[in-house]
Amino acid sequence: MTKILTGGLGKSEVAGRVTGLGLPGVEIVVSSDMDAAVQLRAGRADYFLGTCHTGAGASLGVLVGLLGSAVCHTFGRSVPTAEQIEALLDEGKKVFGYAVDQLDAVTPVLARAIAARTS
Amino acid sequence: MTGPTAAAHQAVAAAGALGFSTAGQVTVIGLCALTAYLAHLALAVFNDGVRPFLLDFLHGRTTRSATGAVSFGLSAGFVFGLGAPMALSSGVLNPWLVFLPTDLLGILAPKKWLAPVLGGAWGAVVVFGLRGANEAAHELPVDFLTAMQQMSTPILYLFTLFPVLAVSKQFGRLPGAVAGVVELALVVVTMKLWPKVFAGAPAMAAGVLLLIGFAVAKDLRQRRGDRARAADERALAADNRALAAEAGVPAQVAPAEAPAAQAEDRPATTEARAATTQARAAVQRPPVPDDDPMVSLFSASAARLRRHLPLFMLLGGGVCLLAQLHIFGGGEATSFLIAKGRSVEAAQVDFYRAFGFLPLIATTALASGAYGIAGFTFVYPIGYLLPSPWWALVCGALVFAVEVLALSGIGRVLGGLPSVRDCSEQLRGAIGATLQLALLFGSLLAAQAMGGGLGILLVGGLYLLNEAMGRVVVRTAAGPAAVVVGGVLLNVLYWLDLFTPLTS
Repeated sequence: MTKILTGGLGKSEVAGRVTGLGLPGVEIVVSSDMDAAVQLRAGRADYFLGTCHTGAGASLGVLVGLLGSAVCHTFGRSVPTAEQIEALLDEGKKVFGYAVDQLDAVTPVLARAIAARTS
Repeated sequence: MTGPTAAAHQAVAAAGALGFSTAGQVTVIGLCALTAYLAHLALAVFNDGVRPFLLDFLHGRTTRSATGAVSFGLSAGFVFGLGAPMALSSGVLNPWLVFLPTDLLGILAPKKWLAPVLGGAWGAVVVFGLRGANEAAHELPVDFLTAMQQMSTPILYLFTLFPVLAVSKQFGRLPGAVAGVVELALVVVTMKLWPKVFAGAPAMAAGVLLLIGFAVAKDLRQRRGDRARAADERALAADNRALAAEAGVPAQVAPAEAPAAQAEDRPATTEARAATTQARAAVQRPPVPDDDPMVSLFSASAARLRRHLPLFMLLGGGVCLLAQLHIFGGGEATSFLIAKGRSVEAAQVDFYRAFGFLPLIATTALASGAYGIAGFTFVYPIGYLLPSPWWALVCGALVFAVEVLALSGIGRVLGGLPSVRDCSEQLRGAIGATLQLALLFGSLLAAQAMGGGLGILLVGGLYLLNEAMGRVVVRTAAGPAAVVVGGVLLNVLYWLDLFTPLTS
């Protein structure tokens, strides 16, 4: 079971989108950057999806400082392709930030890529 | 509060000219030089998204150019998609146009002395460029800038409802309905009893108080519950059955939530260096994720900002002065209010808006060691209201001093109040939602004022096109930007003798 946390401006929308996809083996929980930092560090959660106007400020929040930028990535206001996300997941990225107004486009691609890795 | 000054601003606004006085020009150029210099030193950036990335830069884990690339990537869309169209359409400066480029120029400047030079140059470009564009636009046969004045009514009245949306989303339908009824009643009563006062003012204040009240109550309830649980856990850990029996409380321990801070094996994260304090989180206040890396990172950042207090006071004075000159609007919608000379309403809007951003700015500042260019943005509303520039310099400096000194305390408080943090996110979401509708509707009103049905077709069509293209322009700015483009198109049609302006 992969546990994804979500935080930032559109967290309830992100959670709703992911739940709506009905992906097996993926659990989405509404959280916040501070709580997510603690949970990810302790290994009690696997990924974090954050949203805000820029795709980085409230999205990533304290996570860059606490987990290091090596595991964080922001798409800004761009919409990534499945291949780009695959490459990022291969690099070991766990924390993703994107713009709240691109939420509908980005969330499913990200969630599916993460779900594909759960066995 | 609407005194002779307001009347004077109204007159200036009515003249419709963006008359940047010499004082205004010097302020903008000087302030841009200062903000670029602070960005260069990684002491402050305006873009909340760039701020967290400055930590790696400070620790030498990333290069100037890489940080600059992050800044460009996160800011470009807001400069061209929000700052520029807002400034063009309102004739008033805004932080996205002024401060996002100085973030970038300051970060990219290879030499310390070059940062203020580049920043000042940008300030000059903004002041003279915007003024030129504005004067040119007012000369046009189809005057879309005057049509833009239609924006302020929908903004003011719809923005009034933002606390209701935030309450509904965070606490459910019933509290939302209560807040809605309270606000609506207050608007009606205010209109009846005090026709001089802006009708939404008391309603907004009441709505915000309700929201904060609900959030604090929820956190305190949760904290009491957590305390009770923690007490039970301790009683258990003492494995003193007699004591447990004496207390007579059924110990409700959530096993998964057992003292995590101790059971937690800390992976060697990059900031482990900073976290060499081997202090086991002895004091456990359950709702506060008191793992020491966070605490030590936060206190190091707060200390760094305190060391540079004089620079921040200078910055605070400068930003407050810019707001006081009434050539600058801090929020998404404030520009249109300042342009109409409605400083008191603008101050109210930006004052509430500040609460939506405060936790975000505080946590990003504490996590990175860099502050916000406008601080918690309280200097905007203070600046709009102050009677003289000198007052603005003094008050702005003092406000920034208080903010920087209070930063670590604010961080601690926020850590213990998750609902209040959540509340601010809901606030920002609600502000975004109300402004989105208000700006779209205001844009269509402006479209109708300048070109009737054809105007609506052009402006509404451009807005829809932007949506279909994956929002090249930020949604908030899409309406105003569409009015500018639509206005230019109408002028072209006029020159081609295909369109007759409605208003002379």
